[in-house]
Amino acid sequence: MDISINTFNTSGDRALLDPRTSIYAIIVISVVMIGGRLSGIEYILRVISCMIPVVFLFAKKNYKLGMIYFLLALLAMIIEGSAIQTSSGFLNLLLVIISGTISRFVPQFMMAYCFMSYTKVSELIVSLEKMHLPDVVIISLAVMFRFFPTIAEENRCVVDAMNMRKTKTKKFSLIERLEYQIVPIMMQSVRIADELSQAAMTKGLGINIHRTHICEVGFRYRDYLMIILLTAILLLFFIY
Amino acid sequence: MGESKNGITVKDCINIGVFAAIYIVVFFITSFVGYIPVLMVILGILCSITTGIPLMLFFSKSHTFGMITAFSVILGLFMVLMGRPWYSILIALVTGLASDYIMQIGKYKSINKAVVSSGVFSLWMIGMTLPMFFGDREAYFESIREGYGDAFVDVLYRLTPNWMFYVMTVLTFIGGILGGLLGRAVLKKHFMKAGMV
Repeated sequence: MDISINTFNTSGDRALLDPRTSIYAIIVISVVMIGGRLSGIEYILRVISCMIPVVFLFAKKNYKLGMIYFLLALLAMIIEGSAIQTSSGFLNLLLVIISGTISRFVPQFMMAYCFMSYTKVSELIVSLEKMHLPDVVIISLAVMFRFFPTIAEENRCVVDAMNMRKTKTKKFSLIERLEYQIVPIMMQSVRIADELSQAAMTKGLGINIHRTHICEVGFRYRDYLMIILLTAILLLFFIY
Repeated sequence: MGESKNGITVKDCINIGVFAAIYIVVFFITSFVGYIPVLMVILGILCSITTGIPLMLFFSKSHTFGMITAFSVILGLFMVLMGRPWYSILIALVTGLASDYIMQIGKYKSINKAVVSSGVFSLWMIGMTLPMFFGDREAYFESIREGYGDAFVDVLYRLTPNWMFYVMTVLTFIGGILGGLLGRAVLKKHFMKAGMV
């Protein structure tokens, strides 16, 4: 897997949406995309909600990914709108698997990707504090999201090291594979966790005093617009 | 496991986050197997075996009540964000508290209690399979019929009568125990030798 994963930035412009709105958007999109039926008004709602991430991808000037995602989503929607109803048997199963993989899992991943690419870590933490979550959950969540790209990086290093020693040609059993790949990653992770906690301590995270923030977080008119749109989708989805 | 400070420190929070990330990555890679309907039944046992390794290492790092609960609540929260049913977070809370309690009996030092605790902890996964059974059963299958197509749903429906829920729960528990044993073996072989536990 050679996909570079972006998570929350540490610097940059103010987020396009308030983090709370973005989380709401992820939840609504995943409810509609995973549970929705393929006929009637729910199909229209699916089309609308799978196009929401496209707007943010283009707003972030990520045209390439935006176009790829747009075409994929369009393909899946066309298959779901027409081909599934008219086909049957094995072909039906195949089409369901292809379009289902795209439409049921990719949109909320895309929305989460947008959320991570335009939100800063500090903005996320402030808005989670405004939601009155306990500190343990907030810090752990922030660390967790920060850590996914690190795991990908470490995994690449392990695979490189294995290739260098020509272990690629050897056949491993599943358990061996698990051991040889996960154990080095975990060794590294333990060390990184230690360093990270020392860095956090020097920045005063260990003191039990309310921390202040410089970044601005709050609802703007586009947040209200987005919330109204999402609530309308959710209401229509549950009523019909 | 050195110091036994009271309360959860920043270091613990960071450990929770790091191991939650590893756990989720391992969990997701394993659960791709679920696309094949027949294997959906043994998905619980598979996932709980493979995630045993990071889980046992995390258990060896935990030293106070609440860490394991926070860990499982974060997993539940992540799953809800990914669009699983909302009550899976409640089940995660309960199993997290239970496994925290089991660890506390062993004062967070007993490795046998950790294996049992790993079995109990793995039960949080059944929250995600719950809509397939009992009251919502017919409604759930009707709702995914149009989405996943007749072939997939019929195979899945035939494979999962109501008693299958209990079988899956027991299988997941056994898987958790096996994962704990696997994790214990790996800890002994690699981490204790390197002096990291």
